[in-house]
Amino acid sequence: MKIRRYYLPAIIQAALLTIASPPARAQETATDGYVTRKEYEELKAQLLAMKKELDALKQERAVAPKRENSERQALSTTTSKQAKPEGRAVADAHKQVVPEVPLPLVQSEGLFGTTKFLLAGWADGMFEARNGQVSTFSASFDPIFLWELTPKILFDSRLEIDLSGSGTNVNLVNAQISYLLNDYIALGAGEFFSPSNVFVERFEPQWINKLPDRPLAIYHGILPNISVGAQARGGFPVGSTRVDYAFYVSNGPVLNTFDARRAGTLDFNSYTDNNDNKAVGGRVGFLPISGVEVGYGFETSKPGFQGTTFSRVQALVQSVDLEVTRDSYLLKGRINLLAQYAWSHVDHAVYDPDGSLGFGPLAFTSMQDGGYAELAYRPTKLNNDFLRNLEMILRWDHLSRDPSGLGDPEETRWTLGLNYWLSPSMVLKAAYEWDQPNSEPNRNALLIQTAIGF
Amino acid sequence: MIATRRIFSVLVLLLVSTSWSLFGEPKTSRKADDKSSSGVSNDSYRGLSGEELWSNNCMRCHNIRPPTMYNDVQWDVIVHHMRLRANITGQEQRAIVEFLKSTK
Repeated sequence: MKIRRYYLPAIIQAALLTIASPPARAQETATDGYVTRKEYEELKAQLLAMKKELDALKQERAVAPKRENSERQALSTTTSKQAKPEGRAVADAHKQVVPEVPLPLVQSEGLFGTTKFLLAGWADGMFEARNGQVSTFSASFDPIFLWELTPKILFDSRLEIDLSGSGTNVNLVNAQISYLLNDYIALGAGEFFSPSNVFVERFEPQWINKLPDRPLAIYHGILPNISVGAQARGGFPVGSTRVDYAFYVSNGPVLNTFDARRAGTLDFNSYTDNNDNKAVGGRVGFLPISGVEVGYGFETSKPGFQGTTFSRVQALVQSVDLEVTRDSYLLKGRINLLAQYAWSHVDHAVYDPDGSLGFGPLAFTSMQDGGYAELAYRPTKLNNDFLRNLEMILRWDHLSRDPSGLGDPEETRWTLGLNYWLSPSMVLKAAYEWDQPNSEPNRNALLIQTAIGF
Repeated sequence: MIATRRIFSVLVLLLVSTSWSLFGEPKTSRKADDKSSSGVSNDSYRGLSGEELWSNNCMRCHNIRPPTMYNDVQWDVIVHHMRLRANITGQEQRAIVEFLKSTK
């Protein structure tokens, strides 16, 4: 419409010039059929003016689609990107030629905001019948809030809402602000999943975790799950392979010293620090070929309370992990192999040195270890829909967390599971677990769960 | 404890080597699959298209969800989040997002 508005005066002007020219010539020139030099110059000036105006209109027409496009993408581009120099240059040129036309929206889109928000997460319902315990149903809902303030800044937070007794527990699982420094480095600060524990970072959501419960050693005090601090992470190619990394500084764990059963173990659930020393940790992963990743994670800290005899005690936790995903034509399906093994070492220390707690003096170097290996197969290449949605899982997991000899015994489990996938992120799981803690009655269990990711 | 670790290590190595060498996908059939789905994106990063990057990176942890499950804006946020979680590079992130948007 605007273009038409400017074409119209130009056409009218051209028509007037054509009509007005003969009288003008009649007034000033001879009647021999030729134009004078003056007439020629006037016509030339008018022609140049029209040409300039036409160029301006063409430029306007070229800018218009870009502007419409930028309006449509108001939610998917950032203010900074929209205010890039080229955009301003076009706007300025446009302003000079046609001053009365409003400035393109590239300058004012910031008024509408560009924040992108997404509510993700998962929910699950579970039935557990374990030997020696009362069978029970349970349910949990884990919303994940994602705010992308710009393409470089993301805030993410997860809540864990589950039932407990007659009430509901709401826990803040993580809350982190991240900034993408460049293609290979991202910085983050807040409460985050510990990079040294790859299972927690990647496989914890119940629609991703293939079995109804979680493996031993990952959640039992050998490795941190959540850290409060700052981290730097990313990945980069090395030839045809890839390396990924994450390093962090955090408050670190607290050394348990008051309880005979737990003396020498690390409490990773205490989010406020107990001393000025900060834990340092990380994980380095290597992807030699597509579908395979091996990783090494660690965290070193001084977990003792400040001002006590434990303040110099050093703790080191380490972990190795392996992830393999392979499509097999021979087996007509997909194989997933996950494995992680972790071990911790706490320096030699004397617990309850004066015997006032009733179990000391007890001197030892605290060591724990544990891990799991899980193999899953899903016949994704079969023609039968029902069979294609089935998945079989076998897991072995082990935990040895008895550094003082007074606490919990070793525990080894085997779990066999069968899943049915209703959609890529909704699953029905059934599993039987053979759970045999040393010197205790078995805790075998039947587990049934449904989980949905969104 | 040491014996347990050794058994664990041997078990894992055995599973990996057998599953990799015996059950791998033939290259010829893979190429055929690539050809059949090549109409979506020609972006390449380390010789991999956006579709391959999407498949390789996402399937390492979970089932892949169809591109139509989310709109373009939602995919921007999800892949940004996943870049942090899976430590993929910026180039991979862009190639994956472009592929996901191009399939709709």
